[in-house]
Amino acid sequence: MEKQVIQSVGFRNICENGTVTGFQFKIRLPYYRGVFLSQLMPGTLFVDGERIEKEDITWCLKGEDYTLEEMKEDFKTHWTPTDLMVLKVKKPGGLAQGYHDLKYGFCFTSSYMPPFLQAALDPDKESFVFMPEFGKHVNERRLLIV
Amino acid sequence: MYTYDRKGPKRGVALYSYSAEFGLTKTLEDCFEDVHDMGAHGIEILANTHIENYPYPSDQWVENWFRLCDKYEIVPVEYGHWIDSHAVRGRELTTEESVEMLCRDLRLAHRLGFTVMRTKMPVINEKLEPVTNWREIIKGALPLAEKLGIQMCPEIHTPSNLKGEMVSEYVKFIEETGTKNFGLNIDFSVFRTVFGEGEWKDPAFTPNVPEDIIPLLPYVYCCHAKFINMSDDFEETTIPYPEIIRILQEHGWNGYLLSEYEGADKYDDGYEVGQTLRKQHIMMKNLIGD
Repeated sequence: MEKQVIQSVGFRNICENGTVTGFQFKIRLPYYRGVFLSQLMPGTLFVDGERIEKEDITWCLKGEDYTLEEMKEDFKTHWTPTDLMVLKVKKPGGLAQGYHDLKYGFCFTSSYMPPFLQAALDPDKESFVFMPEFGKHVNERRLLIV
Repeated sequence: MYTYDRKGPKRGVALYSYSAEFGLTKTLEDCFEDVHDMGAHGIEILANTHIENYPYPSDQWVENWFRLCDKYEIVPVEYGHWIDSHAVRGRELTTEESVEMLCRDLRLAHRLGFTVMRTKMPVINEKLEPVTNWREIIKGALPLAEKLGIQMCPEIHTPSNLKGEMVSEYVKFIEETGTKNFGLNIDFSVFRTVFGEGEWKDPAFTPNVPEDIIPLLPYVYCCHAKFINMSDDFEETTIPYPEIIRILQEHGWNGYLLSEYEGADKYDDGYEVGQTLRKQHIMMKNLIGD
């Protein structure tokens, strides 16, 4: 597992029945403890500046796919910091060969933090005070598609 | 299974301290070995972090857990977990759902040999007051805790005060229910008297003197040996450790002091938290005389 949130391993196009339907990349949880899926607040993905809405991204943990709607209520499925999450992005034709700039935001709630701080959480913006053990919300990485 | 029979305050480490390294440059076994190097015998884990496939680890993982405890002479002391009543946005979990979550942790803690849990309550305001139904949640889990021999302990941490309302509410609950399965984990941040120049200090915080812990000792099943700054001659410069440990010894307190390093600098590139922990263990070993 790499220190960066966006991992270099796992970045590739997704091919289904001979057709490229999108691409995927992996992220690690930059938090000192694991979270239930309902705690996650997915944000927006930018690929080479192109905006991809969170509804077009499926989260996949240990081989199981979860839609945004499913995640909202799921407080039983747990993501441990040592497991990587695969993000599957719908994009007919996938990404072209060469470099791509990925920029992705997500964050998570914590039951032990005061509710007014939780209400202010924005996956696409950093919190007012940066706490390293909660990680940064928005992470960027430049990676190659072969 | 390994046992450590020493009476009085004993040394241990909260694996939370390794947060910046765990999973990247350190495995669970590396952490165990580091603790063993320090001659400490107690460990605290964070269930949601250190248990693979939490909350349902495989039998194979559990088998390996006990292998590590034996190999490195480690006692599973405290199981850190959260009552995540605010896990779903837009609604609070019902008391039943929270109890179910808590009981799942009780069973897992017991399966791994733990006897104390650091039970983190969900909070409702900036004073970090727990949810209003915390008594019902704890009461719902008490019969199971009693059956499994586990003590659930909220952590009392700065800016809370040992003489404050939150602590007195917990003590009142213990006295009214007469339970032996709910108590306190005292984090030594409450004793901190020294702050660096320009360092942020919560305006709500008033430090306790070490003597303030005495009336609470019957309910204290574990302590977080919080430390802020270890000097190069192995003294903690912000918390009166010699007095605290002397009081614990004089009052016959028996339990683990689990080192917890919370400094954000542990995330800096090249920072080695194991060395910081070792500094503190040199001090504690000398004070305890183990």
